[in-house]
This record gives sequence, structure tokens and C-alpha cells, in this order.
Amino acid sequence: MGKSIVELVDQLPTGGLTVSMLKSLDFVAPGQWQNPVGFVNTIKTVTGEDDEDLIQQIGERAIYLFNDKSQGYQTALWLYQTVDATDRALGAAALANKVGEKIPLLGFLNSVTPKPDKAQTIDLTLKLVAELLAFCQINGIPGDSIGDFVASLGEYSGESLIRMVALVCVDGLIPLGPDFISKAISGINQTNPQELEQNSTFQNIKDVIPGNNASSKLNFIGESFDSVKGWMSGLVSANNLTPQKVVSNLQSFVDVADDKLDYLAAFLDVSTNYYEHTGTQTLAHRLIERAVAEI
Amino acid sequence: MILHRGRRVVAALLLSVMLLTTACAPTTPGRFDQAQKESTQQKRGQSVAKTATQGSEFNKFFPKASDGYQRVYTQEKKGFAEAKLKKGGKDIALLSISDTTSTPSAAAKFSNSTKKIGGYPAVEVGKTQTAILVGKYQVKALSRDPSFTASDRADWLENFNLDGLAKLK
Repeated sequence: MGKSIVELVDQLPTGGLTVSMLKSLDFVAPGQWQNPVGFVNTIKTVTGEDDEDLIQQIGERAIYLFNDKSQGYQTALWLYQTVDATDRALGAAALANKVGEKIPLLGFLNSVTPKPDKAQTIDLTLKLVAELLAFCQINGIPGDSIGDFVASLGEYSGESLIRMVALVCVDGLIPLGPDFISKAISGINQTNPQELEQNSTFQNIKDVIPGNNASSKLNFIGESFDSVKGWMSGLVSANNLTPQKVVSNLQSFVDVADDKLDYLAAFLDVSTNYYEHTGTQTLAHRLIERAVAEI
Repeated sequence: MILHRGRRVVAALLLSVMLLTTACAPTTPGRFDQAQKESTQQKRGQSVAKTATQGSEFNKFFPKASDGYQRVYTQEKKGFAEAKLKKGGKDIALLSISDTTSTPSAAAKFSNSTKKIGGYPAVEVGKTQTAILVGKYQVKALSRDPSFTASDRADWLENFNLDGLAKLK
């Protein structure tokens, strides 16, 4: 067992590249995400309570719920962490002395390599499937409830909403372009089970994806993505999102030229962990909401 | 000379403030250490009783939304179900039913109750919650917006199908 839920939430960073990136996406979901950090602070924010004895009771119940593996909260956290954990060390090391400064991307072109479109497509769709599976684990509905997930996407707010916004912008629009939805759908249709098996993220999470073999898991991935394309294109059109518009907002912390967008995608991939960061916040939020109702 | 001494006083003050705040800081994280230790020593399934009722059983007892409110189910786990109330796109309150078999202290707090809502013992918890005990089930209304007052909470609790819930085994 790794860190406690208290440590995980207490140790969430208040600055750095992940936080800068998410803040720069605020224009898509204004005021939705305040980067809530700290376990006790999150209890106070979520519940509106400030009595120390009550906070203690809520915190203790949340800890018991999290540490009980049968409740699914740990699986959800593991999913958020796993889909994010590509070769992040590279970017982190390169950035160690850059935090707080504006980062010129050109200097990093030697150390990051853009992924081919197909790999990017598999990444995007796997992240989405991880969101669906984590949602089901956290909220207690069966793991193949695509319909329930799609219905509740419209209810997403706060850290969950900004995570999905980042997914669309950073893993969709920037690497794959304005028609990323149709590109991803045709990409996944042209992927065969053997190719999927070669993807390391898939290798890590395949046991929790519904389906008996790689082929039926691939179908599930395609179905999941297909069912949220309406929500995604709604988000894109409501905000007139284009790769250029997203990049101009990201330019508050990274200098990049328009013709280097695939490098920007690779750079953000290795240097941020927005899924894990906001996933931990989502998890803490839901745990605390349940704990306060049960005590 | 006087100026010099003044600076030293300020420096000494700053140093003591620093020492005080850093010395106090580590005590805060420790408050949950005991719960962390106890809950990791146990095996799977320790947080929810085996006999607890499935959350899906609870949904039909929740009050229907009306008066411009929207009811959205959020979590449904063994021994627990929760829905939020929204109005004008904003979260106003949470409604929940939980099985106190897993949390005996939750049921115990009603032994001091002097108030009743819908004929069942009721307590106010903290600033945002009203709870009633229906058999072994705790039903709560939790404000998420200041406009949702304690009397709103009592009203919504009465709108649950409480007698139906009381018959649930």
C-alpha cells in the first residue's frame, strides 16, 4: 500500500507545470477549478463545516472507506495514476529548475519526441476509458455503464470538469488537430488487437477493462469513445476551441510556435500529471461527501 | 544604537514566531495517524458491514424533485445512496440514506435526541446537516448553499418515504 489518502491530498502541489496548465484552461470552464489541496482544507471546503471534532470524524470515516479495497476508491486512484504515468521523469528532470519561469519549448525539442497519431489516439481513448471506469468505481455503478457515465458527464463540475477539458485540449486538439474526434474514431477503427496489446498503458490497465480478450476490450474502448463524442464536440463548439486558441492560453507559461504543436503535446505529456492531480482531488471530494453523510 | 537594538528585537521576534509556527505545524497531520493505522491493519471489507443493505434499494425512498429543484443521484454503494439537489444549475443540497450497521456511532448520537421529524428521532449536526434515524437507517439532508436552511432540510427529510424505508430489511 502506498501513501495514505491524507498524505496524497496534503502533498498535492499548489504550483508547477500541471497546475499552470490547468489554470490556463480556465477559459473553457471559468471558475470551476480552484486547485483544492490539503486533506483538512478539502473537508472544510466540501462540507462547509469547521468544527474540529466533526472534521475529525469525517476524516476518519473517509480514511476507513479509502483503505477498504472493496470500496473501489483505490482502484479509481490507481487508474488515474496509471494512465498518467508515461515517461514523466524526463520532463520533470528537465523542468526541475524552471518552475515559475516561462519555458521556451525549443530547448526541449531534443529531449521529447512526438508520438505518431495512432499512439496518440490510443492514449486519448484509454484516458477516456480510465475516466469511465474510475467514475464507476467511485460512484458504485457497474463497470460497463457507458450510458450512466455519459449522462453524468453533463453533471461534471470542478476538478472532474477541468480534467475532461484538459483531455479534450491537451490530448485531443493539440496533438491531433481540430478534427481530433473523427481522427480518433477512424484511428481506433483501424487499430487491431495486437497493436493495442503493444501499448504499455493498455498492458497496465487491461484487467479492469470489460471484455474477455484484447479484441472485445478494443470494442469497449471504441464504444466508450463513440458515446462521448457528442459531449466532446459540444464542448469544442460551445467554446470555439481550436488548437491555436488553446495554445494562446497555454502561452502564459510555455513559449511555442504553431508548427510545433505535436512537440508541445509530447512536452505536456511528459511534464504534467493532470489526470493524477485532479483525480486525487475528485476522489477526496467524493470520499468526503460520503463520509459526512454516513457519520 | 537604539535603531540597532530595535532591529535585534525585531529579529528575535521573527525568530520566535518562526520557531513557534514550525514547531506547531507537524502536530496537524498526525491527527489522522491512528485511523490510518487501524484501518490498514484490517482486511478487505472492514468499512461496510456484510449485512448492510445495497444502495440501490434506497433510491425509491428519496423524495421527488419539485419547485424548480432537480434531483441527481450521485453515489450508490453498499449501505449508502446519495443524491444532490440542484436549482438553477447550482448545487443546493445533498440527500442521503445510509445503513448504520457499518457506523454504530452514527446511530448512537440519536439516543440524546429530543426532536422528531416525520415521527422519527432527529438531530442537527454541525452547521449544515440534519439527520433522522429510521430503524437502522440514517437519513440526512446537507445544505450546500446558505439559501437551503435548517427548515428546508426538515421539509425535505419529511418528503422521503420514511415509513416505506422503516419496513426495509
